[in-house]
Amino acid sequence: MSVKVVRTHAEFEGRIQEETALVEGKDIRSWSVTDELQIVGKPHPRIDGIARVTGKALYTQDLYFPGMLHVRMLRSPYPRARVRAVDASGALALAGVRGVLHRSNAPKAAFRGEETIFRDEVRFAGDEVAAVAADTEEIAALAVRLITVDYEVLPFVPDLEEAMADGAVRLDEKGNVTESGKYERGDTKRAFGEATAVVEATYRTSTQLHNSLETHGAVARWDGDELTVWESTQHVFGVRAGLQAALKIPYRDIRVRCDYMGGGFGSKGGAGKYTIVAAIFARQLGKPVRCFLTRDEENLAAGNRSATVQTVKIAARGKKIHAIEHLAWSNAGQGRWVADPTGPTNGLYDFPNVRTRSYKVLTSLGALASFRAPGYVEGTFALDQAIDELALRIGEDPLTLRRRHAGAQHDPETGKRYSLKRLLRCYDIGEREIGWSHRRPDGARGSAPHRRRGYGMASQIWGGSGLPPAYATVHLNPDGTAVLRCGTQDIGTGTRTVLAQLVAEELGLELGDVRVELGDTNNQYAPISAGSLTVSSVGPAVRLAAKDARMQLLGAASGILEVGPGELRVERGAIVSKGRRTPIGEVLGQVENYTVIGKGSRFPNPEAVSLKTFGAHFAQVEVDVRTGEIFVEHVVAVHDIGRVINPLLAASQVEGGVIQGLGFALSEQRIVDRPTGRVVNGNLESYKIPTVRDVPKITVRFTEDPDTKANNIGAKGLGEPPIIPLPAAIANAVANATGVRMRTAPITQQRMLEALELRP
Amino acid sequence: MKPFAYAKPRALTEALKLARGGATVMAGGTDLLGLMKDGIATPDRIVDIRGLEALRGWSRPKGKGLRIGALVPLVELETAAELAALLPIVGEALRPAATVQLRTMGTVGGNLLQRNRCWYFRDEAYPCWLKGGVRCFAVDGDNRLHAILGAAECVAVAPSDLAPALIAYDATVSLTGSRGTRTLPLADLFVTPHGRVRKEHTIASDELIVEVRVPENALSRRGAFEKALERKTWSFALVSVAVSVKLIGGVVRDARVVLGGVAPVPWRARDAEKLLEGRTLDDAACQAAADAALEGALPLKDNGYKVPLARELVRRTLRRLA
Repeated sequence: MSVKVVRTHAEFEGRIQEETALVEGKDIRSWSVTDELQIVGKPHPRIDGIARVTGKALYTQDLYFPGMLHVRMLRSPYPRARVRAVDASGALALAGVRGVLHRSNAPKAAFRGEETIFRDEVRFAGDEVAAVAADTEEIAALAVRLITVDYEVLPFVPDLEEAMADGAVRLDEKGNVTESGKYERGDTKRAFGEATAVVEATYRTSTQLHNSLETHGAVARWDGDELTVWESTQHVFGVRAGLQAALKIPYRDIRVRCDYMGGGFGSKGGAGKYTIVAAIFARQLGKPVRCFLTRDEENLAAGNRSATVQTVKIAARGKKIHAIEHLAWSNAGQGRWVADPTGPTNGLYDFPNVRTRSYKVLTSLGALASFRAPGYVEGTFALDQAIDELALRIGEDPLTLRRRHAGAQHDPETGKRYSLKRLLRCYDIGEREIGWSHRRPDGARGSAPHRRRGYGMASQIWGGSGLPPAYATVHLNPDGTAVLRCGTQDIGTGTRTVLAQLVAEELGLELGDVRVELGDTNNQYAPISAGSLTVSSVGPAVRLAAKDARMQLLGAASGILEVGPGELRVERGAIVSKGRRTPIGEVLGQVENYTVIGKGSRFPNPEAVSLKTFGAHFAQVEVDVRTGEIFVEHVVAVHDIGRVINPLLAASQVEGGVIQGLGFALSEQRIVDRPTGRVVNGNLESYKIPTVRDVPKITVRFTEDPDTKANNIGAKGLGEPPIIPLPAAIANAVANATGVRMRTAPITQQRMLEALELRP
Repeated sequence: MKPFAYAKPRALTEALKLARGGATVMAGGTDLLGLMKDGIATPDRIVDIRGLEALRGWSRPKGKGLRIGALVPLVELETAAELAALLPIVGEALRPAATVQLRTMGTVGGNLLQRNRCWYFRDEAYPCWLKGGVRCFAVDGDNRLHAILGAAECVAVAPSDLAPALIAYDATVSLTGSRGTRTLPLADLFVTPHGRVRKEHTIASDELIVEVRVPENALSRRGAFEKALERKTWSFALVSVAVSVKLIGGVVRDARVVLGGVAPVPWRARDAEKLLEGRTLDDAACQAAADAALEGALPLKDNGYKVPLARELVRRTLRRLA
């Protein structure tokens, strides 16, 4: 097969990036609505479900090798300090301690643009100062306490808005605030002058912590010069690149694996300091080394969703939205980038006049990490509340007002036609399912004394088109079973099952005849499992690999059965010719152990169209106006993501997003003690993740039309869309119920009650 | 965690002997283990009292109230039908409090003796006043969860929901130690940390809780319990309220109004109780009692919301009894 280089553009988490990839052979047309698919589109339970719930599935955290050593980190207690000296003699004297690494003795190891793992100047409470390897985790934890560090404590900034203020301590020569995004269309200055109604408000969102069930961590083992790292990661190839950069060893000698994974939500995009430290210790000490973060560490040093402060000025001219200005400041902590909360404002609705600015703000806190739809959850919280505030001002139903701006079939940012957009249909479905007709402009009586009921909704835009490069191989065994090998990883979303469905469908096998091997850099490359791009990036390559295998199989079968290949097809594990079914195993069995190897690659996205996902969430809530308690009763989540490969897993994905959005909306917030700059609730007691009892009735719907222009499977991503609109929908419902606009997330009982108490 | 010696005696006398000289007593361990992992408790010796039969089980000696052994698991207070019928508010208090795993391991005695949840107290890095330091970090720090009533040097709140519920039923607690056995009102087990008293309980280090008793005459009272949580379950209460009254012809006798989550100790709202005495539980009386209960509240910078919240919960619990 001939190999071709393609250069293309693709969207990743709201940013357009250039991609160069190789493709082999030719792409095929997308399955269409009229294709009768047997396995794709069916609600198959996870093929690894039993292994997961019985504990047979091994997560990285479950790996214990004979003789393995355990690492614990010493972390800075101060938000900013110079490390003058580290004395590890006390720790090294403890029985069972095998080694201590710190800034004076650790080998140079580049990490994310810095030269070493342990900084001379620690920049947040939780920054790594030293690492101990010991026979047990308990000994390592004890030893950490025996290390003495001479710190020179430096001035710090513990808070987003404090960092923005004049005269704040400068954490960077260029200042704490830098512009990170700008966009304009039309002429907002003129447009605000033409407006008949203007609303301006400030919204705030809190720092949300990922809290993956499996914390960040890695296990490293050297066999001679060969390093194998098992890591809980969304990107085995990213970890490999990080190890190569840090250790300066060739890819030949690095293998990274991630078989099962307990969540990442964006925060596990590449090698961590724990990875590099585990690899260094493993080499120095000649033993396998395990380094996993504790829950507290996870909540200090493994990333977070930036807190934001956002101002939105929005104007109507008559009954339409005429202009919007959206300024957003995001707390990057010690991060080097920041997500852009203004993405939805720029692209979701077809407002004629838009001006947005986005700013990165440095603080003395742990760096942000991508968190499920970074920026878009925060931005939609502001944007879709501002629209409701304007709707109220002009006396319009908020859904009706949105409809005037949600139907456009061209992307307002690029002018390109959307490949597929069903946002208005999402509104229709949501409106019906939630019972929007029960909504009253001033809310309604609730189900108990002192309770008010309200309805709210918000819209979602996100990319999710997927992108090259991605490659896959399908091995069809002589007995008619197949193994899919691909470098992607199943981060818990059900990737294994979905890819097996694609192979079985295209190759004509039963689902049970397909095994999927993922999460291994010995397989071909696949992109990071983030940005809602796994299925839409990897799926088309997998389908092509299966198709390649099928064509080879038919060629072989044609020779063996002595029938023209045009008269053969594969169906449910058998070669079918003129009504006669011969099991694949019987056909291939006539040849001595021949394995068919099919290869597939991801072709570029069409450049002429705009590829987006859309959706809308509707919420019905009640608020106890005497206690501030909020009861979310029903959420309807409707999404437009093209073809749904597996409705059961897709519904799980949406429910998960809704629940995570519920936490953002009502209860999750990192709390920092301002005098000391320390996180005081980095644990699962005080950081309030929703429990099952908090979860409302959730109705999940999809518009279901395949996006046949997008790629050969017609599917776009679903990872992020279901968290995006929920917080705004809930806030809008709360405002409808109570007449009180809650502009700060989370809308805790405390904040709700404080706001209700201030009511006239 | 620091290494420690561990003993699990079978007899009470042996346990008391072992407990002398600074050992730490452990029952379910659900709080102690967390304190040890966080470096807040660093015992050299642990005496595991789960082998002590004398502290187990509950009984209802005829006409003599209710006796609950210190080692009775919390989950039993909700699931044992007879207990639930006798003291329904205890089940109400416990059910949304913690996971069933914690309530299965946790004991009555351990719940009453749990340490506070102040995040400065629980973080080893803060040398707070209660731990022997010079100041309270919550006063200038984030005190949204802290006390609005009755605090002195330490503004942490008493976290137990069981304690207000039992105090509302005039429970007593029996302690035994090397100097003998004593019985005191359960409310007196708790002390406001102040001056030289840097602790939350009056129990001596070599004493054990043997049992809690609820007097016969209290068992006939009607009770109600309400609490506010930061989420629907598995959370320490922001505010909890336990009330009990005897209603004779609709008229209140022996009212008890006890709040959790608002003060360093389970907070008896005596003014509210007095105000209710002899009145019917109409809207005005309930509101007046609620106002009285929060009369002296002195919120910190972040916890003012607890005042209207507690007031409303007092009003509601009382209205439920009407």
